[in-house]
Amino acid sequence: MSLPKIARIDRRYLYILLFIFVSFPLFVPLKWPITISQHTQNAYDFTETLPAGSIVIESFDFGPSTITENRPQAKAHIYHAEKLGLKVVALAYWPGGAPIGEAILKTVYGSDFPNIPEYGTSVVYLGYVAGNEVGMQTFGDNTWNAKGTDHYGTAIGTLPLMQQCRSAANFSLWAEWTSGDPGITQVIQFVQGRHGGPSEVPIITGATAVSVPGIMPYYRAGQIFGIMNGLAGAGEYETLLVESTYGYPYMEALALLDAQSVGHLLIIAFVIVGNIGYAISKYRGGKGS
Amino acid sequence: MIPPVGQIPPELGLYATIFGVFATIFIYSFLWKENPLSRAVEHLFIGLAAVYTLAAMYEAAATVAYWGTGRIVEGNLIWVIPILISLMYFFFFSKKYFYLYRYPVSIVAGIMAGMMICGMIQSNFLAQIQDTVTLPLVGAGVWEGWPPPGLDSIIIIIGTITALTFFFFTWEHKGPLGVSAKIGRYFLMATFGAAYGGTVMARISLFLGRLTFLYQASYPSPPETPWFWAWYLVPIAVLCVIIVALWERSRPKPPPSATVTAKPAPAEAPPSRPSEEPTPAPETKPATAKPARKRKSEG
Repeated sequence: MSLPKIARIDRRYLYILLFIFVSFPLFVPLKWPITISQHTQNAYDFTETLPAGSIVIESFDFGPSTITENRPQAKAHIYHAEKLGLKVVALAYWPGGAPIGEAILKTVYGSDFPNIPEYGTSVVYLGYVAGNEVGMQTFGDNTWNAKGTDHYGTAIGTLPLMQQCRSAANFSLWAEWTSGDPGITQVIQFVQGRHGGPSEVPIITGATAVSVPGIMPYYRAGQIFGIMNGLAGAGEYETLLVESTYGYPYMEALALLDAQSVGHLLIIAFVIVGNIGYAISKYRGGKGS
Repeated sequence: MIPPVGQIPPELGLYATIFGVFATIFIYSFLWKENPLSRAVEHLFIGLAAVYTLAAMYEAAATVAYWGTGRIVEGNLIWVIPILISLMYFFFFSKKYFYLYRYPVSIVAGIMAGMMICGMIQSNFLAQIQDTVTLPLVGAGVWEGWPPPGLDSIIIIIGTITALTFFFFTWEHKGPLGVSAKIGRYFLMATFGAAYGGTVMARISLFLGRLTFLYQASYPSPPETPWFWAWYLVPIAVLCVIIVALWERSRPKPPPSATVTAKPAPAEAPPSRPSEEPTPAPETKPATAKPARKRKSEG
């Protein structure tokens, strides 16, 4: 088959090829080396600098459709925070993020969560907080006004951790796991922007790979301290944890990185072959594909 | 107290896994061809998402305004005001009191406009401009290492200026302005390329997520010994798709006129004169040509 013909191949054959190539590394891990990107390293390093007892906001602003990218990011960071002795206040501005967030907390803190001794003192789960941008701003101004109870119906005022966490002035870090709006842009605008800037409300984020090019300007401007870029970023963070003294037992993203790399190589090959075929058919006087 | 929304009881985990396998295969069958199963799962997803969001919103409204510290349940009646304002949305369905629906809409629009202006100016304008104009070009370490930070700065400065000139329409893009706009266009294309790369990466990640589910999901979950694995059902789901596809192929295809909703000719329309040429039928809508031909023969 000539290249111009290959360039016009039925796309369904490409899907089958992609399925085969991507499946292979899931059964036979290739163990390709992983390079840690600077923005993932920054997210890790900043979390490391926080003293034990600092309050970290973990915001699950994504839905089931991006669970593959955002869940390993959030899980790795919450595990890291738990190992460092940080106090975690978790919440979700997306309705679909609330049950996913709870499942992540159950993984890290144990399946009995929230019936664990440290609930209310070291970790609190508020669940879904309504209002999108307004909800974010309200939470930054006065956490008690954003929601009256936690996810399990306990009044916020009765939780010792929420008595310490009254506004953005008490946040040592906002970790935003996002795949759209409301997400990282709104946290920068309505929480960080209103409460003294990056030095007062430091932000790290784990975003879907689609949205990372759009939030890079915030990172360059110093408004975001670190970024986990999609599944690759989660895998890099997991690698950092594995290489640290904490270890990491879940390895959700790392196992998939080989498959993702193979998928990328195949798509690059498709693009090259398609373009060569297009160029040849154009050179021969045809219209191309 | 209202139970949290979205929790699947453990005893339903098996059914959730079975449903997940069929839904995954059915929705991916769209890649081969749109079929009744892919459409059914698509509609089911939209319906479930709508219902879930409604339930979550209701629960959230209750926990924001009614239950909890300093809320209506503790006698703080100021929280009745937002509830009343939000209930005014339902006047959308009343012709007589429709004007009341405009109050909550205008309140929300006003609040959002005020918030966005403040937030956008600080975060998206001032901080970004400040970062661009303070890019390091000289100083210690600016031209050390590879790539040197100074090179980054130069690329960002050139990219920002030329991309801005691409959107400058006061003068025609000729001469230096044309060159700048053309360079700006290349920067924009590089940006879109990066975004496309991110999109590919994200889509493959999602695909991997479903593959992992199909290969690894089990019931009961480890460390208990699973007796059911999700991939057991994959051949059955694929078979379902094939059967539906064959069934759909065997169905008689509807005539082209039935596929296009043609506007029926009005009964009182005058018949065309015999000398009149038939109306040329547009290629994309063959059904519109048929009534015209019929009218001519009748006339």
